[in-house]
Amino acid sequence: MSIDKKTPPAIDAVAEPVSAEYGRASAATWRAFRKEPLGIIALVIMLALILVALAAPLLAPYPASYGTAVLQPPSATNWFGTDSLGRDLFGEVIWGTQQSLLVAAAASLIAIAFGTIVAVIGAYFRRLDGMISVIVDLMLSLPVLPLMILIAALVGPSTATIILVVAAFSWPEVTRIVRSQALTVVGLPYVDAARLMTTSPTWIIRKHVVPAVTPVIVVSVVVTASRAVLSAAGLAFLGLGDPTTWSWGRILYEAQQSGAMSSAWWLTLFPSLAIFALVLSATLLSIAYNDARNPKSRRR
Amino acid sequence: MSLASFVLRRLGRGVLTIWFAVTVTFLLLRLLPGDPALAVASPNMTEDARVALLEQYGLNEPLIVQYGLYLWQLVQGNLGVSFTQSIPVLDVLIQRLPWTLLLTGTALVATVVIGVPLGVIAAARRGKLADRVVQIIGVTGQSLFVPSIGVFLLFTFGLVLGWFPIGGAYTTGTYGAEWYLSVLSHLVLPATSLMLIQLGSYVLTMRSTLIDALGEDYTVLAHANGLPARRVLWKHALRNALLPTTTLIGLQLGFLVGGAVLTETVFAYPGIGRGIYEAVTQLDFPVLQGAFLMLAATVVVVNMITDFIYGILDPRVKTA
Repeated sequence: MSIDKKTPPAIDAVAEPVSAEYGRASAATWRAFRKEPLGIIALVIMLALILVALAAPLLAPYPASYGTAVLQPPSATNWFGTDSLGRDLFGEVIWGTQQSLLVAAAASLIAIAFGTIVAVIGAYFRRLDGMISVIVDLMLSLPVLPLMILIAALVGPSTATIILVVAAFSWPEVTRIVRSQALTVVGLPYVDAARLMTTSPTWIIRKHVVPAVTPVIVVSVVVTASRAVLSAAGLAFLGLGDPTTWSWGRILYEAQQSGAMSSAWWLTLFPSLAIFALVLSATLLSIAYNDARNPKSRRR
Repeated sequence: MSLASFVLRRLGRGVLTIWFAVTVTFLLLRLLPGDPALAVASPNMTEDARVALLEQYGLNEPLIVQYGLYLWQLVQGNLGVSFTQSIPVLDVLIQRLPWTLLLTGTALVATVVIGVPLGVIAAARRGKLADRVVQIIGVTGQSLFVPSIGVFLLFTFGLVLGWFPIGGAYTTGTYGAEWYLSVLSHLVLPATSLMLIQLGSYVLTMRSTLIDALGEDYTVLAHANGLPARRVLWKHALRNALLPTTTLIGLQLGFLVGGAVLTETVFAYPGIGRGIYEAVTQLDFPVLQGAFLMLAATVVVVNMITDFIYGILDPRVKTA
């Protein structure tokens, strides 16, 4: 596995090769992907986390009631120990998986949909492109976390707020990546040919431009989702998470608030490991997929 | 393009970015559900003080007039009054800004000083063990959550080993050289956390641009001329590969500042980030708004400086 294709995130990202044979190319990608051990491991971790999120009610009861065994280190009864109110940390992490994955998936899907539409419109209607790239440039040069904090604090913490706030500041990155690819596609002869056949830009965009940028979108989904996990955890860590549901960031926030963060190592370790596992597997997945998709870096 | 017009264009861009940040903040504050008065006036104020403040900001005027007034207030450096401390937001933030600059500046310098050589080593030994290790560091580093790494460092080196203090920015009651030493020892752990989350992107960018530079004709020519490989790598290829890294500094600044907010919270470091955390707990909206604008302005200014450096390093930028 190599990371050679990694380019500095400039506004004009280097365009990826465009796959012409869509069906056969995806089969070849999968064959190449299966040979990437790290990619497979990342995929397994990701699927395991999704399974944990879906099966949370079966794995642990919802940690709501306070217990008497306060700040107990990991033991046979409480695998991950207990928090400062005597609640089971294992249950908190398990239920937190659900919330973290939900936020990541929802926020990244909204950001991807919006970001892709903006990018493709910009690439196709060149007159709008200048304005779009200026806005994207401006948004990417602002410190987003403080802005997210301001909005989340004003609107009030809830799961919907977190999802919308994270999505609202993740789409420019998607637009940046997809735009450069879409610009290459729009210049290709088959799009010109399509213009001769129809006058409907939506048809051309839907049938020709979007399919050609799909691989870039797939990578974007994974990268945006992992960024969303970090942003949502950051907001929750500052006390702007949904106070009614468990999330990994909220466990860390409560540990910090109770002053137990430095003495009870398990309170930080387990949610941190969960965040790390999710983000790292997402990053590795996107790298492995990128390598597998690119015939030049495929292993024979 | 002459140097003067290059500088002017960059300045214009900086002003545009700050205007954009201000406008986004204004629109968000006015259009989001919730009382816009919250952004300037505390619900706990006396009625007279509240009315006076709302009038100063023209919150009873039409939106466009409010926008004009908002810009005018900002130009005068008026960011409102902190609910909790009852002093101008600007005063609250100005005390905190040097600490944030010290922390992020140190982290940035450390990232470049450590990240560039690591990237060079990886590129020079492409495919070898050293390269794999550096790549693993790069990818892992990009997946770290700042508070996690911060607490880990704090726990290990602060509590268990006791090498460094566990919070704050200096030891109270120390003076002169002793004070500077205490500032330094308080800086180590937060700056290291911030450096670790940044390192990955720098290492990977450095590595890939250097690999590209090593494949260029001029490096092939330098090799063919019989120059030692080490000299070609460090003198010829690295100089050109450093340029994208300069761009990366600008692009990562927003991320660095976000990381600083979380790091300062973990280490109780008295910068703007810790101020944001405290303002969140007390729902002190003027401080949150002012902090965002001040951080945005800082990012823009530093970005302009890196652009100028880029222009000096790469003569093509000015002629393009």
